[in-house]
Amino acid sequence: MITEQMRQEIDEILARYPAGRQRSGILPALYVIQREYGYCPVDAQDELAEILGIAPAEVGGVVGFYNMLHEAPKGEYHIEVCTNVPCMLRGGNQCLHNFENALGIHHGEKTEDGKFALDHMECLGSCVTAPMAIVTDQKTGEIRYFENLDSSEDVEKAIDLLKAGNGFHTLERWTPEADPDNEGASDGPYRLGGMEPRYLMDRLNKPDSHRIETYEADGGYATAQRVLNGIEPADMIDQIKDSGIRGRGGAGFPTGMKWGFLPPGVQPRYMVVNADESEPGTFKDRIVMEYDPHQLIEGIILSCHAIESEKAFIYIRGEYYFAYVRLQEALAEATAKGYLGEKIFGTDKNLDIVLHRGAGAYECGEETAQLTSLEGYRGQPRLKPPFPAVEGLYAKPTIVNNVESICNVTHVMRYGVEWYKEYGTERSPGMRIFCLSGNVKRPGLYELPHATPLSVLVNEYGGGPEDENHPIKAIVPGGLSMKLLTPDQFDTPLDYESIAEAGSLLGSAGVIAIDDRTSMVEVARRTLSFYREESCGKCTPCREGTAWLEKILLRIEEGQGLGKDLELMEFIADNIAGKSFCPFGEASVWGLQSNLLKFRPEFSSQIESTNPDEIGPVLPIRPDYRPNTHEESGLRDSTFAPAGGNIVLHDDLVPGDD
Amino acid sequence: MTDNVTLTINEKEVSVPARTLLVDAARMAGVEIPVFCSHPKLDPVGCCRMCLVEVDGPRGTAMMASCTMPVGDGMVVRTDTEQVQTVQEANLAFILLNHPLDCPICDKGGECPLQDQTMRFGPGISQLIEPKRLAKKHYDISDTIVLDQERCVLCWRCIRYLEEWEDKPQLGLFERGSDTIVDIQDGRPVDAKTSGNIIDLCPVGALTNRVSRFAYRPWEIERTPSVCLHCSVGCNVRLDSRTHQLRRIVGRENMQVNDQWICDKGRFAHAWVNDEKRLAAPQLRKDGKLTPVQWGEALAFIAEKLNGIKEKYGADSVGAIGSGKISNESNYALQRFMRAVIGTNNIDHRDGGEVAALPTGLPALAELMKPQYGPDPQVDTVLLFGVDPSEELPVLDLHLKRAVLRGGVKLIIAHARQIELTRYNGPYLSYVPGEESSLISRLTQAVQGSDQSEDEAAISAAAKLLKESESSLIVYGPMAARGENGPGVRSGLEQLVLAAGEGARLAYAGLDGNAQGCRDMGVLPDRLPGHFPLDDADARARLEALWGCNLPTFSGYTYKQMLDSQEMKALFVNGADPATESPDWSASLEDLELLVVTDLLPTATAQKADVVLPALGWSESDGTYTNLERRVQRAPKAVTDPKSRAAADWMIFAHLAKQMGADWSFSDAHSVTAAITQAIPAYGELTWEALGDQGRQWDASCAPTEDASAGRTSEEVPASAAEDAEYPLSLVTGTVLYDGGTLFGLTEEMHGMAHGATVTLNPADAAKYGLDAGSAVTVRSEQGNLDLTVAVDAQVQTGCAWIPESLPGAPVGALLNGSFTQRVKVERR
Repeated sequence: MITEQMRQEIDEILARYPAGRQRSGILPALYVIQREYGYCPVDAQDELAEILGIAPAEVGGVVGFYNMLHEAPKGEYHIEVCTNVPCMLRGGNQCLHNFENALGIHHGEKTEDGKFALDHMECLGSCVTAPMAIVTDQKTGEIRYFENLDSSEDVEKAIDLLKAGNGFHTLERWTPEADPDNEGASDGPYRLGGMEPRYLMDRLNKPDSHRIETYEADGGYATAQRVLNGIEPADMIDQIKDSGIRGRGGAGFPTGMKWGFLPPGVQPRYMVVNADESEPGTFKDRIVMEYDPHQLIEGIILSCHAIESEKAFIYIRGEYYFAYVRLQEALAEATAKGYLGEKIFGTDKNLDIVLHRGAGAYECGEETAQLTSLEGYRGQPRLKPPFPAVEGLYAKPTIVNNVESICNVTHVMRYGVEWYKEYGTERSPGMRIFCLSGNVKRPGLYELPHATPLSVLVNEYGGGPEDENHPIKAIVPGGLSMKLLTPDQFDTPLDYESIAEAGSLLGSAGVIAIDDRTSMVEVARRTLSFYREESCGKCTPCREGTAWLEKILLRIEEGQGLGKDLELMEFIADNIAGKSFCPFGEASVWGLQSNLLKFRPEFSSQIESTNPDEIGPVLPIRPDYRPNTHEESGLRDSTFAPAGGNIVLHDDLVPGDD
Repeated sequence: MTDNVTLTINEKEVSVPARTLLVDAARMAGVEIPVFCSHPKLDPVGCCRMCLVEVDGPRGTAMMASCTMPVGDGMVVRTDTEQVQTVQEANLAFILLNHPLDCPICDKGGECPLQDQTMRFGPGISQLIEPKRLAKKHYDISDTIVLDQERCVLCWRCIRYLEEWEDKPQLGLFERGSDTIVDIQDGRPVDAKTSGNIIDLCPVGALTNRVSRFAYRPWEIERTPSVCLHCSVGCNVRLDSRTHQLRRIVGRENMQVNDQWICDKGRFAHAWVNDEKRLAAPQLRKDGKLTPVQWGEALAFIAEKLNGIKEKYGADSVGAIGSGKISNESNYALQRFMRAVIGTNNIDHRDGGEVAALPTGLPALAELMKPQYGPDPQVDTVLLFGVDPSEELPVLDLHLKRAVLRGGVKLIIAHARQIELTRYNGPYLSYVPGEESSLISRLTQAVQGSDQSEDEAAISAAAKLLKESESSLIVYGPMAARGENGPGVRSGLEQLVLAAGEGARLAYAGLDGNAQGCRDMGVLPDRLPGHFPLDDADARARLEALWGCNLPTFSGYTYKQMLDSQEMKALFVNGADPATESPDWSASLEDLELLVVTDLLPTATAQKADVVLPALGWSESDGTYTNLERRVQRAPKAVTDPKSRAAADWMIFAHLAKQMGADWSFSDAHSVTAAITQAIPAYGELTWEALGDQGRQWDASCAPTEDASAGRTSEEVPASAAEDAEYPLSLVTGTVLYDGGTLFGLTEEMHGMAHGATVTLNPADAAKYGLDAGSAVTVRSEQGNLDLTVAVDAQVQTGCAWIPESLPGAPVGALLNGSFTQRVKVERR
């Protein structure tokens, strides 16, 4: 099944990874197979296993783990509509319905002519332009974002565009308003704002901002030139430590301190840039990589100089295809200039950057899971200690840093530590890209110093509530995992310490505003649907607990809630938090825990108004057990119809979507 | 290395070795922490979260997974607080959430850790009112293992076993989140040779034994500690029986032998024990037809005939064939009968006198093992010469893989086929049967530092490893040391060991379950019990006093000689089936005046017998067996067939001896064991009681130091491997695990696993002769021909044709006809 030509392409991919680590190329190799067949046929999987020297079951396990790898053909155009909370708040569900109506199929199905397949999807990093969808062109494997699909007309326009074959002339994002003639014209970066002047986002709106010429005209790579030729690695680590940069991925760990954990003298060592931006409500790294990739590359060059690494990997989320293409071009440009490769910037240093696409797994944003995934396995977290700085990628010392953290390094080295510390607070220095989404007038990316009050971001920059008649009742300050803040806390300054004091965390600075039109039960259920879908399945509490919580919340939504469900949910949440293998488990219930605490009356009244007599659900009776070892029981061929009128986002309950 | 740390568990101070995992430290302190994923023989993974305990840390008390956390000095741990109990209850609730609770129809019910822990640590009630998750309920992931995905609690034990021990990750996790399942890749059933161990490891009833399915309830079975007899590793097993039937076999821990692993043949292939075809009464040929008779009649007939033959032709016209498949007691009684009652040394077994063996077997299996928390193997380099552990000794294969992957052992393979273990990239030295000695001398020269030609990179690499090694072990097997070439191979290997220097050792490994014991007992034409030469005065005096007889002086006939010779008039065949090995033998067996076959099943040889005596199998009578490292182990009686009149071989010969005027006065099997301790100094202390449940090695220094059994004296070595226009291919044969033998073939469930009746050729040869996989062919040698199907595999060298022994319905003996090497041609049918 793997043709000579595919084999050649796969061999080229595998050659990018260090000798003996060819298994790392499993995801890109599977993309080659999927492009050819529209899915990953078992025979091709087995052939790939042979090429990689691993067992067929190991390839099958990988295909099953990653959402973007299919076990059955999906159609010429695979449309995936985001229905996660930030999109849900702005009509994501309606958008999915609009697609269903326009195509005449239920999500999880394929049109009869095989042209379109429709699925719901978790956060795609485009909350600012919700509702939205991505479309995958099976023939090429390309992915394009279709955004601002506010009405059924917008959806029809998008489908017409695809039908006419004009959807993929460019990969830059599409919006109805930027393409009045419906020819596939692209839109530029979405709404940007914040302090003046800006640094991290300064160049995003400039023409050809992604080109190395414009980057260098703006002073780019001069810092790398200077630092590599004049500053000792140890001194640079000290500067980064002094600057107090904290990780922008979510945990906020001081970057310089992390670098300091590397055992001295051990080579090879690796830098892994975490570009697997998947936290719902976060969409900053995407736009930086799409429109200013050289800012990131310069940051990587600087960081690798500091930690004395000669090999870096950018683990980019699979859906970010346009950013992937832009980074590919940028890497080629930088290599041509002698900024990457051997003896860069005229020094005797070498640096090779491998761009690695993930394949749709939120868990791979967790650093150890990301390394496991990068090594070519199912993206499941591993034990700490040993920490990645000691034993990371291929059991070698490895630093994993977020895209925005690395970009900060570029600016600290360019403008100096003192300059950087002028922004923010002592313990939360510097500026931050805040991702504002949900029910505000002007969702967007806002670059602001740390400690800017939440209300300033939401009201001054975001323009306040989307609808004046519907005040904001809750805000998630740092991506969907984080605990909810209520109106009395809206003045909290946006820095690590203040937000923590308010009982939540700054996380990835994805700020989601929720107004009073939305039921908090729905928010809770949709949040848990996400975690159920994205739990890696390694440990019991998270795997079973998130699915259980979702079932209970679904039941409450559907009018069969029981009073004791609230306590039960708290019990379950308490026994996931802190008991799971990785921080994911904990994060999966923070939102629910704070929701139950702060909006309990909403849950109670939903239960009381829909099920006043506390009638429990009818217990299902198991089918007869047939002790016949030679035949399958057939129970997987579920005939359950989607229950209730609401959108049930259970793939396995949808007929035809196996 | 063994620094101790002191910690407090539940207010009690414990001192344990550093790096011990907390869960193990607690066990040492007598505190039970419930676990599912944690297993003392697998790497920790920490996924089930059942073992969370409270640990005081710098930031207060935290819940930590005790199965992944090493102990620390001064650590304070609590496993009995309310918080811990709550978490245990909650976690069991999570685990049981989607567990089907079909315990009444689950094989695991009654011996299920999930049941036990739920009773002990669980919440008692379920709060789940949602529908349970549905998954594949029961389907075969191999011919021997059934998977129930709904019962699975995703502890990864099966996955980890196949990865960490078998190095064959054939099971994996598929899908993710709450949909995660354990599964095989579509169309790729599990075929690791020790895959059944995952059934023992499974903490729930997700993996069940397809052969034993629904055949027992754990609370009804009797459990008998025993050993496995399918090969010479001698894995410790437990026989589970009920109502006179052997229901199931599981692994039993013996850290000197098999850790706790057993192979699939040992676990599943036991249907023969209770098979209907088992011989249940003595049979006497009357009017040309075998007719059931009473024991007395059969024995009297044999005694009378024997006396007549002995008188007419002399004692040396009587011979006996013993077996590496029967117990020490039976083999001992057989050879005593021949030597003391008949007065001849015509006593041998297959792979006996024809093989240039060494008397002492492997130094110790433990020297090759790398247990989970044990030290590295003592041996650092292993050269396998003509041994294929993957097919012949599967648990040794397991030990070697582990030793290579985790113990830093270097593996050198010399074999006619590129066997599975060559995948570890150690040097592979190939040879064509008959050319072993030449390879050995080239290797020896390389070790001695002589110049090597460029094209012998593998030999140089092997020589380098042997020279650098501080403790190397060269293991050879019967396939490389049979017949005329045998003595040359053995002396060549002895030279190689000398060249490799101090620390190098040579060992011979027999393949049959009691191959070592059979030799120890003196079932050899030129050796007395204990490997003493026939002219060893001390041994003769000891045995003559013990047996009250004069021992015969001259060497007897070997196995092959007995079958080839026209002078043989009476033959005893015990646990062997020479009729299938050679058309000539099959014919000559008919010419005997008396053929007595003692066996479990009506073999082809039994069909030709004058008297057929039904024997008890290893599970039906007490017996001891000696494995390839000289470990004498007990296999007590576990089952009895009340309808059968079969008897133990030793008892048959004791009665026969009595018929012929000798009185052995053996009251039971243990008294035979005791007699062996008197006859063989090396077995001196190894009485039934002293052996215990783990067996004991006999002291290698007790073996005679002089040159061991000579094997066949070296005659002229046949010209080998020279281009032969008529017969262009060298026949390569040998043992495969899943062959056509009755002990395997009677287990119907495993039929799909059996090696097909194939001749395997190198792709180049297949192309050369215009053959494809699946072509129907006739293989011809000078001796005969055989109809087979072609298989194509690069593991077979060019110029060779690989036909395993004992293929179903296709005995390679038809081509060999009693010889050890042949050249063949393959013709399309």
